[in-house]
Amino acid sequence: SMKSKTRLGEPYGSGLLVASLENYSPVSKIGVFVKAGSRYETAENLGVTHILRLASNLTTKGASAFRICHGLEAVGASLSVTSSREHMVYSLDCLRDDFDGVTEYLINVTTAPDFRPWELSDLLPRVKIDKAVADQSPQIGVLEKLHEAAYKNALSNSLYCPDHMVGKISVDHLQQFFANNYTSARMALVGLGVSHAALMKVGEQFFSTHTGAAAPGAVYRGGELRVQSGGGLVHALLACEGAAAGSAEANAFSVLQRLLGVGPHVKRGSNITSKLSQGITKATAQPFDVSATAFSATYSDSGLFGVYIISQADSVINAAMAQVTAVAEGRLTADDLTRAKTQLMADYLMSLESSEGLLEELGVQVLSSGTYSSPQTVTQSIDSVTSSDVVKAAKKFVESKKTMSCYGHLANTPFVDEL
Amino acid sequence: MASRAPAATSRLLVGFRKWYYNACGFNKIGLMRDDTINEDSDVKEAIRRLPEQVYNDRMFRVKRALDLSMKQQILPKDQWTKYEEDVHYLEPYLEEVVRERKEKEEWAKK
Repeated sequence: SMKSKTRLGEPYGSGLLVASLENYSPVSKIGVFVKAGSRYETAENLGVTHILRLASNLTTKGASAFRICHGLEAVGASLSVTSSREHMVYSLDCLRDDFDGVTEYLINVTTAPDFRPWELSDLLPRVKIDKAVADQSPQIGVLEKLHEAAYKNALSNSLYCPDHMVGKISVDHLQQFFANNYTSARMALVGLGVSHAALMKVGEQFFSTHTGAAAPGAVYRGGELRVQSGGGLVHALLACEGAAAGSAEANAFSVLQRLLGVGPHVKRGSNITSKLSQGITKATAQPFDVSATAFSATYSDSGLFGVYIISQADSVINAAMAQVTAVAEGRLTADDLTRAKTQLMADYLMSLESSEGLLEELGVQVLSSGTYSSPQTVTQSIDSVTSSDVVKAAKKFVESKKTMSCYGHLANTPFVDEL
Repeated sequence: MASRAPAATSRLLVGFRKWYYNACGFNKIGLMRDDTINEDSDVKEAIRRLPEQVYNDRMFRVKRALDLSMKQQILPKDQWTKYEEDVHYLEPYLEEVVRERKEKEEWAKK
């Protein structure tokens, strides 16, 4: 019988963690996870991660941009880069047989970029397009503003390059950020559908002697940011400080999130299992313009939990708050709890079904904690959440200092201290 | 003959090269060797890649030389570019441009 096993290793004490999962697939997927998200930007180099993400296909010391692009295309492989607030993820898909040929490109991109000034200045239009697309989306806007309002540093940095830094990120900024953050101790190399020995060999080429710069912890402050932008709808995101990823409290918040509702589980359904939806349909007579989902974000040392509301009526936010307060007062049944836990477990397990989801889960876990917890372990820890844990989490939301960000037609929207 | 002139930097050849450099005459209107290079597409791309300071210096020297040529004058002897001061600033950029072009052509042949 075929058994998939996750294996972890650390070549030569360089600090790089290597994890592989042999799933006998004909396609290999290798990811390099680096602790180089936007939280590690400083006041002098805000926006450097945005540029770095766009610059990942540029000339490196071992291969020119042309060669990287055509070399990967020739074997049908693909290299993509994703950046989040905490991590930069480079992921390479290729056919299993082509693994040896394409890893040099991945190694070059993550350890030896050249940062040529003329190639970087060609990136400027792409930065502007990214920002223009983000400006069009109220969801992105409200999320960025929430983080800006909630934290004093680190996690308050935007994923996008701020206006005053567009065109001002220089080669020096990039090289310094790279030297401080792309050290092997801050990286994890993860492979799906590869042999562990082959991946360890690739890991040996990541050896670097730098230790990198220390990063400050995120400090929550709780604030409010409102952006008037016209349009008929109001997007409001109301959150409190949640729990750090991997903690038991984080599981309680996730269960609470499912309890309150994260969107319809049945297409074109009426979302009757969502407490938030139940509450707000009673509060307003405009059902088609209204949506409320619970929001949860977890980071390595902090988290955010709250509700995200899109509505036209001003009473909706208070109605949503009333639902959370109801849970905080203990008004939740055992059925509700079981249902929420089952939904959470199902969502988690389903996210592992796709290779992107599995790679991300493997990489983030290995990079944050140095080990990998099997899905069974994770589902057991979700199952062990009790109703008192959930009530405690809801109480924390009701009682703690909240952050709010709103976007849209804000004439009737209450301020966070009026809720 | 070839066996009698080993390395390009032998003392005999340096003397010859200095004489040739001065005989060319562009140093009399304040130019460097790379200012006079014929601008084909590779050279144009290499010039585009120059750092701002180097590019500005090049433009200044060219403008000054054009002005002198129009007035049918040359610089005073102490301002002529000396052989030792002539920096081949464009060479690394030009080599890189040519290497990239050759790489593309090699790839297209496959």
